Amino acid sequence: MKVKEVMTKELISIKPNGSAKDALDLLFKMHISGLPVIDEEGKLVGMFTEKDVLTYILPSYIDKVGRFVYDENPKSIKKKFLELGNIRVSQLMRRDVITTAEDASCCEVARIMLTQNVRRIPVLNKEKKVVGIITREDIIKSYAKEAGWGTD
Amino acid sequence: MGNRLVLKFIILLFLICLIGFISKTMGLNSPQIISLLIFFASVFATLFFWDFRVAIAFLGIGALLATKTVDLENLIKFSSLEVILFLVGMMLLVGLLKDSGFFAWIITIILRIKNLTARKFVFIVSIMSALLACSVDEVTSIVFMAAAILEICDYFEIDPTPYIIISIFSTNIGSTGTVLGNPIGILIASKSGLTFEDFILKAFPLMWVCLLITIILVVFWYRKPLKKLEEKIKDSQANEILVRLISIPPERELKLGLAVFGVTLLFIALHRRLELLWRLETNTLLLSIPLISAGMVMIWRWQKARSYIEKDVDWWTLLFFLLLFAKAGTLKYTGVTEVLAKKISYLVKGNPKILMGTLLWTSTIGSSILDNVVLVAAFIPIVQSFKTLGFFLSPLWWALLFGGCLGGNITLVGSTANIVALGILEKETNIRITFFKWFWVGLSVGIVTTAIVWLALSSPFYR
Repeated sequence: MKVKEVMTKELISIKPNGSAKDALDLLFKMHISGLPVIDEEGKLVGMFTEKDVLTYILPSYIDKVGRFVYDENPKSIKKKFLELGNIRVSQLMRRDVITTAEDASCCEVARIMLTQNVRRIPVLNKEKKVVGIITREDIIKSYAKEAGWGTD
Repeated sequence: MGNRLVLKFIILLFLICLIGFISKTMGLNSPQIISLLIFFASVFATLFFWDFRVAIAFLGIGALLATKTVDLENLIKFSSLEVILFLVGMMLLVGLLKDSGFFAWIITIILRIKNLTARKFVFIVSIMSALLACSVDEVTSIVFMAAAILEICDYFEIDPTPYIIISIFSTNIGSTGTVLGNPIGILIASKSGLTFEDFILKAFPLMWVCLLITIILVVFWYRKPLKKLEEKIKDSQANEILVRLISIPPERELKLGLAVFGVTLLFIALHRRLELLWRLETNTLLLSIPLISAGMVMIWRWQKARSYIEKDVDWWTLLFFLLLFAKAGTLKYTGVTEVLAKKISYLVKGNPKILMGTLLWTSTIGSSILDNVVLVAAFIPIVQSFKTLGFFLSPLWWALLFGGCLGGNITLVGSTANIVALGILEKETNIRITFFKWFWVGLSVGIVTTAIVWLALSSPFYR
C-alpha cells in the first residue's frame, strides 16, 4: 500500500511567524501532539510539537543532571510558559524534519517511524510541496484494513 | 559567513606556511617538518573549526601514516590508551553518581544553608565548585553548580551572572587540585610518574591558596550585586521554599552510589602505597582503579551497563584526545621536541627558574585561547626532553598543570567548563556575556592566581 492512499490529506499547518502560544492552543484544540510548519510559499520549514514546548520550558540542563528531581515547579517554568505568547513558532520548532514521498510504501514509512522515533511524517509531492501527513495510526489502520479487521 | 570561512582558511594557510618556514630555518629534517606541520595544522584547524575536530584528527593521523612519519606500532603506543581508559572508567562512575542522585543531594546541601548571607553564598559556591571539580571533573561539576545557582538566583530574583562566573573560576581552580579534576591532570600524572599523593601534597594546598585569593578578589569585584543579594535575603527571611525545590534522592541508591565512589576515591588516594606494597609499576593502580570500579558497577547494574557505556562516556571527546596524543607523540618520535627543548633551553640560558616561569605563563596564556588538553599534549614531549638537558622536571610538570587550568579563567572560551556554564546561563536567562564583560575580571583572576603559583613553584618545596 502506498502512502498517498492512507495519508491524511486535509492538512492543518501553522505559520513560522505565528506565536508559540497560538500554536500550542491549536494542538490542545485538535488533541494532537504536533503540527507541520509551512511558510507563505507552501514550503515545509519545520515541525512544532509538544516536545519542543517542553524542551523550552524545562531547564536546559535537565538531560545532563541525571536524577535531579524537583519537588516543586521552579519559578522559571511559569515564567517561560508566559513567554510563549511572545515567542514565534520558528524559534521553538524542529528544523530537521523527516519527510516522505507520496509513492513511498507504508512499510518503508513505518520503518522510518520506528528507527527515527517519530510519530508523524509530512508527505511531499515531486515539487516538494506538502500534500498530506501520515501518522502511526494511519499505517496501523491500513494494515488492519488489509487484514480484514472492521475499523471505522 | 562565506567571507569569514575564506578568511579562516587564509589565516590557517598562512600559519601553516609560517610554521613550515620556521621549521626549515631551524634546520629540521623532512619527517620532523612533516610531523610539526601536521600537528600545528591540526591544532590551528581545531581552533578555527572546532566542530570538525575529530574529522581533522582523523585526517592528521592518516597523513602521518601515509607519509611514513610514524609507524603503526608507535602510533598506538603514543595514543596513551591508559589515559583514555582511565577517563572512560571515571565517566562511567560519574554516570552512576548522576543516576543515584548524588549531585542532587549535593545541591540540597547548598539549598539548606542556614542564616544565608551574600558572602556566605559566594564562599560556599566557590568551595563546593572547587571540591566537586577536583573529586569528579570540571564539566560535571559546573553543570550541577550552575543548576543550583540558577535555582537560588531565580528564587531571590537576582541576576545569576556574577555567581555563575564565580563558580566557573572556582571550578577551573579546583580542577588543579587532584588528578581527577581535569583530563590534563591524569595526562600529566601518567607521563610524569607523579602520583595522587604528590598532587595532594603539592597541588591541593596551592589550589586552596588560589581559591582563597580568588574569593577575596570576586567579593570585591562584585560588591554591588552582592549588596543587592544581601538585601533580597533580608527581605525574604528564611529559605524554606528553596529547601523544598529539589527532593532528596532515594536513600539506599544514594548510599550505594556514595559507597562505590568513596571506595574508589580511597583506593585512588592510596594507590602509591599499594603499588609499593605489591611491587607494581608507578601509577598502575591509579590507572586501573577506575576501571575496576566501573567493572563492578557494570556487574551490579548489568541491565544498564550498555547504557552507561553508550551514554555516559563521551566517546567523541575521547577519540579526539586519543588521536591528539598520538600526533603529539609523533613529535617526540621524529625528534622535533628535543630540538625545540634545546632551543628553549638556550633561550632561557639554562636557568631552571626562568624555564619554569616561561612554561607556566606560556601555558596560562595558551590555554586561555586553546583547549588545555591540546596545549598540554604538545608540551609534554618537550618537557620530557628537558630531562636529557639536565633540568629537574617536577616544577615544570606543576607549571604545566596550573598554567593549563588557570589560563582557562582568562577568556570566556578558555575552558570547557566556561563554555558549558555560559551556554546554560544563556539558555535559561537569555543573558549573553560579552567577551569584555568576562575578560577584565577573568584576566585579573588569571594573572593573580598564576603569579601566586609562579612564586610558589619558585620555592624549594616544589623541587
